Amino acid sequence: MAKTAQEKLDAKREKAYYKKHKNMYKVKPSDIVFNIINYTIFTLFTITCIYPFWYLFINTISDNEKVGRGEVNFYPKGLTVQNYWALRNVADLGNSFIVSISRTIIGTALMVLASAFVGYLVTKQEMWHRSICYRFLVITMYFNAGLIPGYMNMVMLGLTNNYLVYIIPGIVAPYNIILVKTYIESIPAELEESAFIDGASYLVVFRHIIWPLSKPILATIAIFGAVGHWNSFQDSLIYMANTPKLYTLQHRLYVYLNQTSNLGSLVSSATTAEQAKNIAAQQLSGQVIKYTISMVSVLPILMVYPFMMRYFEKGIMLGAVKG
Amino acid sequence: MAKKEKVARGASDYLFWVYRLLIALSAVFIFMPNLNPIRVIDKIDPNIALFTAAFSYSSLVQKVGLLLRLGTVKETVFIIAYVGAIVILVGVVLLVAGACMSLGNILLQRLAAVFSMIGSGIGVIGCMVELIANHTVRVEKYNNPTADFYAMTPIGLKLFLIIFALILIISIALRVMLPSGADLEEYEMEPKYKLFLMFLPFGLLAFVFCYLPLWGWRYAFFDYQAGGTLSADNFVGFKWFGYLFKNAATRVDVLRVMRNTLIMSFLGIATSWLPMVFAIFLTEAKSEGFRRFVQIFTTIPNFISWVLVYALALSIFDTTGFINQLRVMIGSLPKDVEGPNYLMSTSAIWIKMWAWGTWKGIGWSAIIYIAGISGIDQQLYEAATVDGAGRFQKMWNITVPGLLPTFFVLLLMAVAAILSNGLDQYLVFQNAMNEKQIKVLDLYVYELGLGGGGSIPLSTVVGMFKSIISVILLFGANSISKALRGESII
Repeated sequence: MAKTAQEKLDAKREKAYYKKHKNMYKVKPSDIVFNIINYTIFTLFTITCIYPFWYLFINTISDNEKVGRGEVNFYPKGLTVQNYWALRNVADLGNSFIVSISRTIIGTALMVLASAFVGYLVTKQEMWHRSICYRFLVITMYFNAGLIPGYMNMVMLGLTNNYLVYIIPGIVAPYNIILVKTYIESIPAELEESAFIDGASYLVVFRHIIWPLSKPILATIAIFGAVGHWNSFQDSLIYMANTPKLYTLQHRLYVYLNQTSNLGSLVSSATTAEQAKNIAAQQLSGQVIKYTISMVSVLPILMVYPFMMRYFEKGIMLGAVKG
Repeated sequence: MAKKEKVARGASDYLFWVYRLLIALSAVFIFMPNLNPIRVIDKIDPNIALFTAAFSYSSLVQKVGLLLRLGTVKETVFIIAYVGAIVILVGVVLLVAGACMSLGNILLQRLAAVFSMIGSGIGVIGCMVELIANHTVRVEKYNNPTADFYAMTPIGLKLFLIIFALILIISIALRVMLPSGADLEEYEMEPKYKLFLMFLPFGLLAFVFCYLPLWGWRYAFFDYQAGGTLSADNFVGFKWFGYLFKNAATRVDVLRVMRNTLIMSFLGIATSWLPMVFAIFLTEAKSEGFRRFVQIFTTIPNFISWVLVYALALSIFDTTGFINQLRVMIGSLPKDVEGPNYLMSTSAIWIKMWAWGTWKGIGWSAIIYIAGISGIDQQLYEAATVDGAGRFQKMWNITVPGLLPTFFVLLLMAVAAILSNGLDQYLVFQNAMNEKQIKVLDLYVYELGLGGGGSIPLSTVVGMFKSIISVILLFGANSISKALRGESII
């Protein structure tokens, strides 16, 4: 396609401009120095962020004797999965795993459903005392009765030492409701109105119009909710004092990390007889088992991480828009 | 004729409000342990509410196992009480359904009246069952006067009986007063009430888990022991508030905890510009791939729990951790000597805790600034380049002013949260060596109340102060924001 005269003229002018201001666009030595320093610092910091995970990982998949001699520092030596296999003997770990996974799935699903539905309801201007109802929810973000009154409340409701305490209090999440509400308000109102004219009820509109259209924001809150559930430690610590069976994985890991008695005995009984005699080896494999449990509890996060990337900015930017 | 109907309707409207209020009261009362109508014998746990008792028989009898085994009380008593609890609960559920329906048209309202008649009738029956249980206990006590229990007629029982009776009368009256509504064809409700009723369950959840805990502040005024009860006998007024300042040991603790809390918060606030700098310099890197690489991996730590951060810290800084292995490798630590555990050291705890927090959060916090930078008009930079501005001049004169509003909001939020450092980080890193420097307010409250400190009232008092000061700070920050920027942050 031939260029128009105007475009030719523009190109010419641009060239002339760059010629005139050549010095400004030249790479100066100071730029090179800046870039080297800048790239180096960021690379170093990034390494400090990922290296601990890598170190933990290579220690869990290396030969325990080599780990004991301190040889495994940068890459795995003597690959083995025996540490992961040995986890099956660690008491209560399976329980905690089930608790954590189930609360993540159930808790997140209910939270997302509730947030979507309530987020939709509070966009309806005709709701009876809508603004009071909405504020009633939003205010809860800004005050907190405190840890002990909250605990006594759960005792009163019979929710301590009860699996439901992981699920029910998290269903209504005001912050997520705000996010969903803000998102739904951006959906053209005409879509809903035409459905109402056709005689659809609120529930039908929610199910067939609002829910499908707000999937991006729902995915965002689902991911963040799931990470929150998976990482939850405090509720297990506070409400499950007498029920170790119901500890979450993070709480279980905390208990193991603080345990001075060695987990190694669990492992050695499962491996070889000579090892069982070697107390040092036992203590060491106790250490490695702690690493392995840590690795298992971080793995799901690392696995969903690539999916989360897409929702980072959306999540954090929407957070800035409060309504 | 029409006018008369309207008058009757007006009266029934008022009556409906009384009716809904009473039903709401009965619904709240089933969550109150003090008003548990089924505590017909003193051995039933005073800390459980009707709602809990009706859901699990085991919670009802958890404190009477010994009594049952010894056979001093027949289990029948508890079974009767339990059945009564369920019956009362069913009654209340029907009443709530009635109250919801009473928001509809006349047909629905008439149905509501029927529902509440049945509901309150069932409720009264439930109360009768409790009276029977009560009577059974009395008979048992009469037969065995030395036994270690006594019969009680709980206040809650009388209260529920009164409420149920009132509702019964009102709903009969309503049923009589309401016009037949024969001209209406369908059960209908105005959309505004429909929406409200759909919202109600979620509002109730928020009430139960966010507002109801405020009721727990009453523990601050009692001499409460774990597992005990609150009564006029152990009411101590403001004793614990004074105790906090008068008791020397507690005062020293609180002052130390406040020092730690404020120092660590101030460290965070004083360096809250770091994520902004991180973002500005990262966007200076020309390579898109490099920027993504850095962003991806520096954000990971934000998504792992503090327990895992501690596990990583152990693997790096423990006696056999990475640092000590490295020292052995380069020869600064003899091979057979056990290296130091850096996590047990007492030096610079505040700085270390700040560093962990920054390590975990900086990549994540930078995202909002990176997004902010991409929103700045590129023409500004071009114009500045033409005018001969250097790299740093552009950063300082264009990027920083562009990001300041965001920075300002986040700074105010941080100031408002100055007392809330969170519990997890300090709990996991705490050990016998560093506990004097590491204990922050949240951790102190936890340990005082639940973690072996064993003083629930005192811990509640500290928590109350924290909550109130936090709310004041938040509103203060908000009015500063309004005055300076004309925008509120909450």
